[in-house]
Amino acid sequence: MARKLYIFAIGGTGSRVLKALTMLFASGVKTGNDFDTVIPIIIDPDTSNGDLNRTKDILRLYQEIRNQVDQPEDFFSQEIRTINEMTVNSPGVNPEYFQFKLKDTDNNTFNQYIGFDSLSDNIEEKDDKNFIRSLFSAQNLKSNLDVGFKGNPNMGSIILNQFTNSEDFRKFGQTFGDDDAIFIINSIFGGTGAAGFPLLLKNLRGNVSMPRYAKIRVAPIGGITFLPYFSLNRNDEVNAESFEEKAKIAIEYYNRTIISLNQINTLYFIGNRGNTNQEDYAVGGQEQRNKAHFLELAGVLAILDFCNDIDPHRAATQVKEFGIEHDTQNITFTDLNIGNAKLLSPPLTKFRLFTEYLDKGLEKSLNVSRWTKSNIKLVRGNKQSLLNNNYFNSAEYKTQIRPFNNYFTEWLREMKENKPSFSPFEEITSDDALELVKGQTPKGNKSFRALDIQNCLLTDNISIRNREKKHTMLIKMFGRSTGKVLVKRNLVIR
Amino acid sequence: MGRFFGSIYDGIFNIYHESYHQIFQHLYDNGGYTRMGLTFLLIPLAGWIIFYFLWKYPYSKLWHWLVWTAVMVLVVALVTNGIANSEIFNSGNQTLNELLADTETGYAEYARSLPMKYVLANSLLALILSFLYSLLLKQFSRIHVHLPF
Repeated sequence: MARKLYIFAIGGTGSRVLKALTMLFASGVKTGNDFDTVIPIIIDPDTSNGDLNRTKDILRLYQEIRNQVDQPEDFFSQEIRTINEMTVNSPGVNPEYFQFKLKDTDNNTFNQYIGFDSLSDNIEEKDDKNFIRSLFSAQNLKSNLDVGFKGNPNMGSIILNQFTNSEDFRKFGQTFGDDDAIFIINSIFGGTGAAGFPLLLKNLRGNVSMPRYAKIRVAPIGGITFLPYFSLNRNDEVNAESFEEKAKIAIEYYNRTIISLNQINTLYFIGNRGNTNQEDYAVGGQEQRNKAHFLELAGVLAILDFCNDIDPHRAATQVKEFGIEHDTQNITFTDLNIGNAKLLSPPLTKFRLFTEYLDKGLEKSLNVSRWTKSNIKLVRGNKQSLLNNNYFNSAEYKTQIRPFNNYFTEWLREMKENKPSFSPFEEITSDDALELVKGQTPKGNKSFRALDIQNCLLTDNISIRNREKKHTMLIKMFGRSTGKVLVKRNLVIR
Repeated sequence: MGRFFGSIYDGIFNIYHESYHQIFQHLYDNGGYTRMGLTFLLIPLAGWIIFYFLWKYPYSKLWHWLVWTAVMVLVVALVTNGIANSEIFNSGNQTLNELLADTETGYAEYARSLPMKYVLANSLLALILSFLYSLLLKQFSRIHVHLPF
């Protein structure tokens, strides 16, 4: 039974959680319960937003790499597609389709968008103008929409209302299958996410003009709402001091209109009260490029939990919260509860070893170790490696694998630099590579040698070889070899 | 087996000398040929099994193979030298010992040069076999399949 999970990622937080989800999928995590395809849908009017574009680029790279892997089984095994790919059944990769477009937000101010400017000062329309002024401040009205709603959900709720009448939303309805499910990611303390979530949910549950409305209306829907978990290094148009107050008001609203009315199957809350994490001030645009945060990774756990715990017969909304075992500012795997540690430790450690190897270990083995040699004499063809010098110098490797791995490294580094810091890994060199997990010192040789040995042992294996799909051997080989090395040295929590 | 190895040393390397027949007869009767033959046959085989299947070093290069070959040849040479000396000079064969003790027979002088001939023959055979074993065993090796080339 093939199922699809549609993930609506609203605003900057939505994009950053999607990024964390993609990193976990790259590391080999899969959604359970037969959800074989994940369809991310980013809703953000701020098209130049740094977080959004970084996430779209990561999703593009993920798809490009995965398209070059024959029957992925570990790394990159989760299929990610766009709505467009579903409707036109196209294998082409275009990250723009991950984002639902909002009309007329590119070069307009809010007052232009709502027609405030076109209202005259004559007596009939003057009342309308005054009424609008009572709902929106002068600053709201003159705000440019191409950088989002600057933390103003009252603006967001107007703009985002058009989204459900869009072509993108119609396509979403058309592709929605009987057993599919929906998950919504939003933050409660900003503008886009706080406004978008109730609006989207209202339409999913009650928009009769949407294709397959009858199915979507009763489909399992989960959501994660981020409570304040960062502040800003200065207050201006966006004021971080109001985050908590806005969150309280929004929760009260959610409680009345969503939870009490059982509009959603499961609602996850996550936040970090008293956080000391400050991001550089930006109202939106390219400058809004917040550092990755552990809570976004924890948010991904909510998505995985939702997939595994869907019960369509449960009538009442379930509310869940996230917590860790030890209250610390430096979180490692052992500070998580055992279930989360088991879920995160093996894949992240494996992929970390993979990226570190390609960065620091490949130089030693390239054209030396047999798994990198394809010019071996007097042996059968399957003894030759497909991962030779040519592969590592190929455009596909340089423009797909390497940038994706750089994003992964950047993502981990940002989580480490953030507060609380998530830093389960040590900085390593090629000589102490297996000391990568904090607090774990394996016995014996600590270099990448064990990984190279495993790669050599796997090279002949026919199931990891494919000449047409160029990354097959690299991705499948390291998916297996990193796992074997880490399990053998007892470096992951299982 | 002794006949087979004897034919290699005598036929190919032409070590046999009719005038010192007693030495060769003794080597043949007491299994000296067999021991020396098995030395060049089995020591490289064991060595290359270790190299290709038990030595798990993923960064092996041609010079590792060359060093290992040299070690194999050296071991074969040392063992052959030991076997030849032991067979000829500590034989317990009374007739041969008398001939070796009698300086007029020339046996002693000839016998002293004989182990080196076997050492050279076995070293050459070990070298050739090493190469052949490598070509065969590398087919089944998963770490050093690229050696010697």
